[in-house]
Amino acid sequence: MSDGLKIVVLIKQVPDTSSAAGVNPDGTVDRVRARKMMNPFDQFALQKAIETRNAHGGEIIVVSMGPPPALAILHEACEYGADKGYLLSDRRLAASDTLATAFALFKTIEFIGNVDIVFTGLQTTDGDTAQVGPQIAERLDFPQVTYCEKMSIEGRTIRASRIIDGGIQRLEVDIPALITIANSASRLEHKRFYNVYRTRELLRDKQTLAKTVMTITLDNIGADPARVGLMGSPTVVGKTWKLGEKGGSCKMFQGDSAKHGVETLIESLSEDERGIEEYVL
Amino acid sequence: MSERIEYDVSLIGASPSNLALAHRLVELASRPVRIAIFEKAKQIGGHLLSGAVSNPRVIKKLFPDWDKGGFPLQGICSDSYLSMVGIRRWENIPRLLTPSYFKKEGYAILCISDMASYMAEELQKRAAEKNGVIVDMFPGFAAQSIVFEGDRVIGVKVDNSDNGVRDICHAKVTVFGDKGFISRDLVSKYNLRKNPQVYSVGVKEVWSTEKSFEGKVWHILGYPLAPGHLGGGFIYGCKNNQLVIGMVMACDSANPNMRPPQVLQDLKKHPYVQEMIRGGKLLKYGASILPEGGYYSLPDKFAVDGAMLVGDALGTLDVKRFSGVDKAMESGYVAASSVWEAIEKDDFTQGTLNSFQPRLMCGWVGEELRDARYFKRVFDDYPEILGKMIPDMVKSIDSGKGPVWAGAQFGLSDPLGSLRLLGARKMVESPSDKGPAIYRPDRTHINPNYSETSAMPEGFDQSVIYSTADVVFYAHTHYEEDNNHIEEFDANVCVDCIEKFDAAGKDTPCVGDCTAEVHQTLEIDGKRRHAMALENCVQCTTCEIVCPFENLRVKAALHGYGPDFSGM
Ligand SMILES: Cc1cc2nc3c(=O)[nH]c(=O)nc-3n(C[C@H](O)[C@H](O)[C@H](O)COP(=O)(O)OP(=O)(O)OC[C@H]3O[C@@H](n4cnc5c(N)ncnc54)[C@H](O)[C@@H]3O)c2cc1C
Ligand SMILES: Cc1cc2nc3c(=O)[nH]c(=O)nc-3n(C[C@H](O)[C@H](O)[C@H](O)COP(=O)(O)OP(=O)(O)OC[C@H]3O[C@@H](n4cnc5c(N)ncnc54)[C@H](O)[C@@H]3O)c2cc1C
Ligand code: SF4
Ligand code: SF4
Repeated sequence: MSDGLKIVVLIKQVPDTSSAAGVNPDGTVDRVRARKMMNPFDQFALQKAIETRNAHGGEIIVVSMGPPPALAILHEACEYGADKGYLLSDRRLAASDTLATAFALFKTIEFIGNVDIVFTGLQTTDGDTAQVGPQIAERLDFPQVTYCEKMSIEGRTIRASRIIDGGIQRLEVDIPALITIANSASRLEHKRFYNVYRTRELLRDKQTLAKTVMTITLDNIGADPARVGLMGSPTVVGKTWKLGEKGGSCKMFQGDSAKHGVETLIESLSEDERGIEEYVL
Repeated sequence: MSERIEYDVSLIGASPSNLALAHRLVELASRPVRIAIFEKAKQIGGHLLSGAVSNPRVIKKLFPDWDKGGFPLQGICSDSYLSMVGIRRWENIPRLLTPSYFKKEGYAILCISDMASYMAEELQKRAAEKNGVIVDMFPGFAAQSIVFEGDRVIGVKVDNSDNGVRDICHAKVTVFGDKGFISRDLVSKYNLRKNPQVYSVGVKEVWSTEKSFEGKVWHILGYPLAPGHLGGGFIYGCKNNQLVIGMVMACDSANPNMRPPQVLQDLKKHPYVQEMIRGGKLLKYGASILPEGGYYSLPDKFAVDGAMLVGDALGTLDVKRFSGVDKAMESGYVAASSVWEAIEKDDFTQGTLNSFQPRLMCGWVGEELRDARYFKRVFDDYPEILGKMIPDMVKSIDSGKGPVWAGAQFGLSDPLGSLRLLGARKMVESPSDKGPAIYRPDRTHINPNYSETSAMPEGFDQSVIYSTADVVFYAHTHYEEDNNHIEEFDANVCVDCIEKFDAAGKDTPCVGDCTAEVHQTLEIDGKRRHAMALENCVQCTTCEIVCPFENLRVKAALHGYGPDFSGM
C-alpha cells in the first residue's frame, strides 16, 4: 500500500470482570448471561495502533472472532478511532482452543491481505493463555515482538522495546510484523467526540456500515472447518473446579474520622496477642 | 466531506428538564428531527442528585403507567410529616396545622438518577419508532463552552482535540438544562438576570436500614441548623429498606464555615434518626445545589437566538413547595412546543423560541412560582422567624411541650411580635404585591466574625457518624491525572482571604463550605496558601457560590469524571 500502513488489531470480547452477573454457582462463567466488554489487554493494542496510524498514516482494521454480539466491541473500537472491522462469526468455530483460534484469525488476516502490522493484546482475561498472538505470527511467518512496551518505525523497520525479566530488551524487526502489547504501554485514550459521532452516523447508514464493519464466516476466509472448533482443537479440558472464595476475612475500622479509625485499629491490634509488629512486614 | 457536526436540537445535560423536553419533542415530531444530548457524567444520571419527593404531574403525562411497574419509583408517599426538632425531642406538627404544601401524600418518591437513565432508555425506544427521529446521547461529553456567531448561539464545544471543528456540536437550537454550569455564561453575556440567583446547598446520604420506612416522608425544621439559618432536613423512606437522609441549607448564611456534611451528621445524632438507622449501613453520599431565588431570579427572557434555558438553569425551583423536579420537567415539556414551532417555521430566533416564556408562565409553573414569590423574602423581612420564633419553639419542644403549646407560648410571650408575624404568614400563603424581592449574592452575607454555637444531642452511636473525608468515599468519585476542573483565578487573592479568615479564627468559605473536603490551606514558602484535592470533588459548585472574592470557577469536568450518583 502506498499511503500509510495497513494495521490490524485483534480484539476479543470477554466477560466483564467488574460484574458478578453471569457467574455460575460452580464459579464458571455463564457466557450467555455475563455482561461483556472489550478485553482490557486489547485496549493497549488498540492505543498503539492509533498512535502508529496517527504518526505514519494508514488505516486500522479491528478483527474479532466471536458470536454476533461481539460486533459491539468492533463498534466501540470505531468510537475510539478504528477505521474498519471484521467479525469472524461462525457456529463451526464454537469450542476452539488456542490452536484453532489462532488458525482462524490467521486465515482472516490472510483474507484481509497486505497487512503491515498486527497488534494483539498480551493475553485475555478469560482464556489467559497469551498464545494466540505468537501462534498467528508463526503461521503468518511474521517476526514477532511480545510484551512490547514502546516502539518506533523508520522506513520498514520497527524498533521495539519489550519487557523481559529484570529489564528491557530492544530489538528491530522488519514490517510486516506481529506485536503483542504489554499492559504497561500507554493507556487507551478517551473517546473523541468526532469519532463517537461518526460511529453513530455509521450505525445508521446501513450501506456504509456493511462496507465498514463486516461479519464474515469460515467460507469467506476459506478456512477448513476441520481445523477449527471442537474438531480442530486438540486441547482436552480434564476438570475445572472452583478455587474457593476469594480473600480472607476483612474488618473495617470506621469512625467519625480517619484518625479515630486508625486509633481503634491500633487499639485492637495491641489487644491482639501477636502485637502490632507481626502485622507490619 | 465536511467535518461540521450539526443537529437540529442539542440538549446540554441529561437532566429531568431536558429528558422531558426530548420525550415531548419526539412525541410532537411529525417529521424528521435530529436531537443530541450531552451529559457530563459517564452514565446518564451519574451526576444527578435530588431528594426527591415530587408531584408526579409531569411524569403522568409522559408515562401514563408510571405507577404500574417499569417506571423507577422509590415509593409513593403514604404519610408525610412536618417535624419540629430539638436536640432531644422530635414532634410532628398536627396535620391540621401543617400547611397544605407540606402534605405530600400521593407524591412520587424518586431517585432522579435512576429516573433519568430510565427516561433515556425509553427515549431511545420511542425515537426508534418514529421515522427519521434521531436521538444521540453523549454521556461523558460535557459542554465546555458556548459557541456564538455574533449574538446567536450556534452550538457548544464538547471536546478539546487538536482539530477545532470536530470538537463543536452545532445546533439550530441549544437548550441548557445544566443547572447553570455553562449557561451562566449565556445569562451574563445577555445580562438576562438583573436580580442574582441565590442558592442552597443540599447534602444527602442513602442508608440501608433494618426496618422499612417506605412511603414515609419527613420535612424537618429546627435542629440541627443554627438559629437564623434558613433550611431544613428531609428524610424519605424508599423501597428495599432504603432511607434517604438529607439537609438543605441556604448559602446566604453569615457563617463562613457551614460544613454541610457535618450538619447532616448532626441530624443523624438525633435520637429519633439514630433509632431509624441503628444497625443500618451507609450506601451513598452526595451533594448538589438548589437555585432558590424563584420568581424574582428568573431571567428577563427564557430564550435568545439559538438557545433556551430550562429547569434549574432557568430557575424554576419553588422553595415554598420544595418542588424542583416537577417544575423542571414541566419547563422542558412546555419548551418542547416552542422548539417544535421553531422547527416547523425554520426560525430559531429569540422571537420564536421565547414563546416558551409566556407558555410556561401562564401555566401552573408560572402560577405557583408567582404564588411563592415572597417565600424567600419573608425570612429577610421577618428575621425573627428564623432567629427567634423557631429556636424558641424548638426549646419548648425540648422541654417536653408539644408543638401546639410551643406555638401558643410563643404567641403569648410576644403578642405584638406574633401579630406582626401574621403579615409574614400572609406573604407566604396569599401574598399581595410588595414589589420585587431583591437579593444580594450569597457570598456577600458571609461574616468572618460570625459566632453561633448550637447544642448537640448526647450519647449518640458514633459508628453511624462520618468525618467529611470519610463520607466522601461514598460519593465514589473518579478523576484521572489530567483533570483540572476547578480554576482558581489569582493565588494572591487567596493568600489575603486566608489571612482575613485566619485572623477571625475561621476557615475560608471554600474550605468551610465545601461538601467534599476538596479545599485546604497549606503553608507553602512561609505563606498560607489555598490548595485543592480535586479528586474528592462532587461538583456541587458551592465553593464558587460562597467564595467572597469570586476567585473560583467550577467547570464541567471532562471524560465523565466526577461522582457516581447512581441510586441517588
Ligand atoms: C485449558 C483451556 C481450555 C479451554 N477450553 C475451551 C473450550 O473447551 N471451549 C472454548 O470455547 N474455549 C476454551 N478455552 C478458551 C480458548 O482456548 C481461548 O479463549 C481462545 O483460544 C483464545 O485464547 P486466549 O483467550 O487465551 O487468548 P490469548 O492468547 O491470551 O490472547 C492474546 C491476544 O490474542 C487476541 N485474541 C485472542 N482471542 C481472540 C479472539 N477470539 N478474537 C480476536 N482476537 C483474539 C487478542 O488480541 C488477545 O489479547 C480454553 C482455554 C484453556 C486455557
Ligand atoms: C439535596 C436536594 C434535594 C432536593 N429535593 C427535592 C425534592 O424532594 N423534590 C423536588 O421536587 N425537588 C428537589 N430538589 C430539587 C431538584 O432536584 C431540582 O430542581 C431538579 O433536579 C432540577 O432538574 P434540572 O432538569 O434542572 O436538572 P439538574 O438536576 O440541574 O441536572 C443537570 C444535569 O446537567 C448535567 N450538566 C451540567 N453541566 C453540564 C455540561 N456542561 N455538559 C453536560 N452536562 C451537564 C449535570 O451533570 C446533570 O445531569 C432537590 C435538590 C437537592 C440538591
Ligand atoms: S478560593 Fe475564595 S474562599 Fe477560597 S481562599 Fe481563595 S479567595 Fe478565599
Ligand atoms: S470543591 Fe466546590 S464543587 Fe467540589 S465538592 Fe467542594 S464545594 Fe462542591
